[in-house]
Amino acid sequence: MSDLLLDIGQNPRARRLVQSLGLPISLPQKLRRARGPYEERELFGRTVVVGGCGALAEVLADVLARAGADPHVVGEASAVDPYRGPGEAFGRPPVLLAPGEVPEGIRADALVFDGCGVDRPEHLRVLHEFFHGWIDRLDRCGRIVVLGRPPEDRKKPAAAAASAALEGFTRSLAKEIGKTGATANLVYVADGAEDRLQGLLRFLLSDRSVYVTAQPFRVSAQAKSAEATPSVRPLDGRVALVTGAARGIGAATAELLAAEGAKVVVLDRPEDDGPASRVARSVGGSLLLVDVTDPEAPGRIADDLRERHGGVDIVVHNAGITRDKTLRRMTIEQWDQAVDVNLSSVARITDTLLEGPLRDGGRIICLSSIAGIAGNVGQTNYAASKSGLVGWVAALARRTAKHGITVNAIAPGFIETRLTAAMPMMLREAARRLCALGQGGLPEDVGQTIAFLATPGAHGLTGQVVRVCGGALVGR
Amino acid sequence: MAKDRKKTKTRNGSGRRAVVVGGVRTPFLKAFTAFTRMDSIALADAAVASLLERTEVPRDQIDSIVWGGVILPGLAPNIAREVALDLRLPHSVEGMTVTRACASGLQAVTLAAAAIERGEASIVIAGGSDSTSNAELKLPQKVVHTFAPLALSGASPMDYLAALSQLTPITEILPKAPKIAERTTGQVMGEAAESMARRNGITREEQDRFALASHLRAAAAIASGRFDDEVTPVGTPSGDVVHVDGLVRGDTSLEKLSRLKPVFARDGTITAGNASPLTDGAAAVLLMREDVARALGYTPLAAFRSWAYTGVDPADQLLMGPAIAMPRALERASMQLSDVDIVDMHEAFAAQVLSILRMLGSDAFAKERLGRDSAVGEIDPERLNVHGGSVAVGHPFGATGARMVTTVANELYRTGRTVALLGICAAGGLGAAAVLERC
Repeated sequence: MSDLLLDIGQNPRARRLVQSLGLPISLPQKLRRARGPYEERELFGRTVVVGGCGALAEVLADVLARAGADPHVVGEASAVDPYRGPGEAFGRPPVLLAPGEVPEGIRADALVFDGCGVDRPEHLRVLHEFFHGWIDRLDRCGRIVVLGRPPEDRKKPAAAAASAALEGFTRSLAKEIGKTGATANLVYVADGAEDRLQGLLRFLLSDRSVYVTAQPFRVSAQAKSAEATPSVRPLDGRVALVTGAARGIGAATAELLAAEGAKVVVLDRPEDDGPASRVARSVGGSLLLVDVTDPEAPGRIADDLRERHGGVDIVVHNAGITRDKTLRRMTIEQWDQAVDVNLSSVARITDTLLEGPLRDGGRIICLSSIAGIAGNVGQTNYAASKSGLVGWVAALARRTAKHGITVNAIAPGFIETRLTAAMPMMLREAARRLCALGQGGLPEDVGQTIAFLATPGAHGLTGQVVRVCGGALVGR
Repeated sequence: MAKDRKKTKTRNGSGRRAVVVGGVRTPFLKAFTAFTRMDSIALADAAVASLLERTEVPRDQIDSIVWGGVILPGLAPNIAREVALDLRLPHSVEGMTVTRACASGLQAVTLAAAAIERGEASIVIAGGSDSTSNAELKLPQKVVHTFAPLALSGASPMDYLAALSQLTPITEILPKAPKIAERTTGQVMGEAAESMARRNGITREEQDRFALASHLRAAAAIASGRFDDEVTPVGTPSGDVVHVDGLVRGDTSLEKLSRLKPVFARDGTITAGNASPLTDGAAAVLLMREDVARALGYTPLAAFRSWAYTGVDPADQLLMGPAIAMPRALERASMQLSDVDIVDMHEAFAAQVLSILRMLGSDAFAKERLGRDSAVGEIDPERLNVHGGSVAVGHPFGATGARMVTTVANELYRTGRTVALLGICAAGGLGAAAVLERC
């Protein structure tokens, strides 16, 4: 569906006209989205400027060189040492830049700041020192990643304060740069989980995380992990179940999972036979027509996965409905329907899958919602179910960790789907602009995040809610 | 793999391995000079004719010709068979033509060795040729798709005129000039070399020094008569006879080379002086089963211990293939770089050879890219390309591998050294390598 402001922004003449008229409109930047499956060198030729303490330098050096980026390291002479080996192996020699030195004409595709060493409020000024000079050099659709230690792991209150400060900083920065299509995210890396950072860094620095911004991530060694983490075709040999896959986010997710090598089981209601079978055909997957609220559903799904595929590795609970009414007008049926599809059935199906078909090292991903988390008029039932999932993933993640199974929720913001297309025009226009990027996301943006969480490389993330919302002004 | 090696040994022991008996090449000339009117087949004819004459191989015992080429003649791409027919070899001498970009010549030779060692043949001529002067202009498919159906259906001149009107704009139907560019990335070979120089920290001066050594060594080899055994005079259609390589500059200097302008980027380092030029030429090698060679009274010069062909991402460092292929060939030969007496690398660009040397010398590279504990090793410049390489001698794409096999086989035989390692980079991100040992 067309977004007028986005179209104007892409037309140089119209853009100039709007600007010269002095209209109080900021034109959103067209986002640069990745096409095709994961590549070995996702960051080919990208200039990545790295600053900060260097606690994570080894991991950063490895990720950047392997992904084909050209690392520019800000710091003292010894700061480039960790980058030399990978530079030699992958032909990505590091460039050393003195603190405060910003060479003429240089443009950065990404800025990465290692804030692990920030352990007291007075030390926070290193953020200003690094970003102040570089922020103007960040290219359109650029990436900022701030790394730090989780505040909850810090013993001293002052250190916890400094760690927590990174979150407010990153969220604000994301809002400052959003109009250029750039994103800023924060990654808290637990002590001992450094080697699980690779996959997430690759994802955040790539053109696959376009609509993920102002988002804190927590990388931990909570889930058991023994597998290899391939960077291309990471889902080869895996079986993925996607519910509500007939259209929208579900269909986009099925396609992306299949593109990374997964065998996809496309699940939707029997009424959606037509569109669901089209998706199944196009992704070379199989079709399973079940109503998720049917009491027989968990058993039928488990049997199908076991018999036809020998089990399942990835479960994406995408099926969801709204039954909007203010509470005083809402019938108990409307309440039941929303809560049953969005939450109860998710728990029932997962419980059954955990009894057998779901293999070790598996991935469970469910769809929460920004509106659900933030609360919305007329959505008491919907918001109850969607925020219920947040508690569910956190608790389940602890239980499944020893089997290497991660459990996460995705919270999409304003996504251009059939659902949002049906909104009244003015409301839709307003909703699109209420985020740092000033535009709606696409189903594939959510799909890319789901696909990433489904990869072996996402082994550091579990029990979390990942917002794909373009930096929405609401929510938490 | 250990099992394979054992097998090879028993085969060697029984004299059934393939050996290089001799090799001949035409002089290598700059494109659009004296060989302009000789296409890839004519150049191949000249090399093979001379090989037959010099080795006096019994023609009726030749099993086949295996030929390598990159710019294949569109109307007769199986050069090998055309050579057999042109030279009036017995009709039983069958022929195949292979292409593996710049590794085509080596590919032809190793295919011949494999055929002999499998027992399919006992005497094979292998080699390669290319004539950049005769690269064909490609008629756009749009023109073909418009006119071919008409031609096949016997249409009237009016139909052709009507069809003409479909062929607009005119720029879409102009023949496309051939270009040494990657099909997938569009990157020109020289740009790839520029990027490799940058990625591996190779300076302009290092490249020029390397190019200078290549020219001086090739010039010395020519002056001393070292190439007389392997280069044959060739008569051209205009009646001249070409005796010697046309591109070697024995009188060049670092100063002269440093004055040349970069070709592929304004602030670049690749010049006409430190890159291999577009070249016309052909090279042929005679291979036999060892026992057959000895029975016929030939002196085997060298045999293959191993070979390896590899591929890397062409979008990354296009010409780094040998850095993977050379260690793999050594591994297959159960050898270390320190066991090798001479190394011969195809010099597509000085920057490319120097980049590969750097990779082979890097512990980090060995660990990440080869799964080894430590670097493959440093290559002593005194043992590398002892008689120069493609930068000085030139590089008719398909011929280079056969040229290298010939020069190295002769070198092992003449000097008494025992092991040689070959490395060739090729378009598409391909790498080729082989280990030869003296017989």
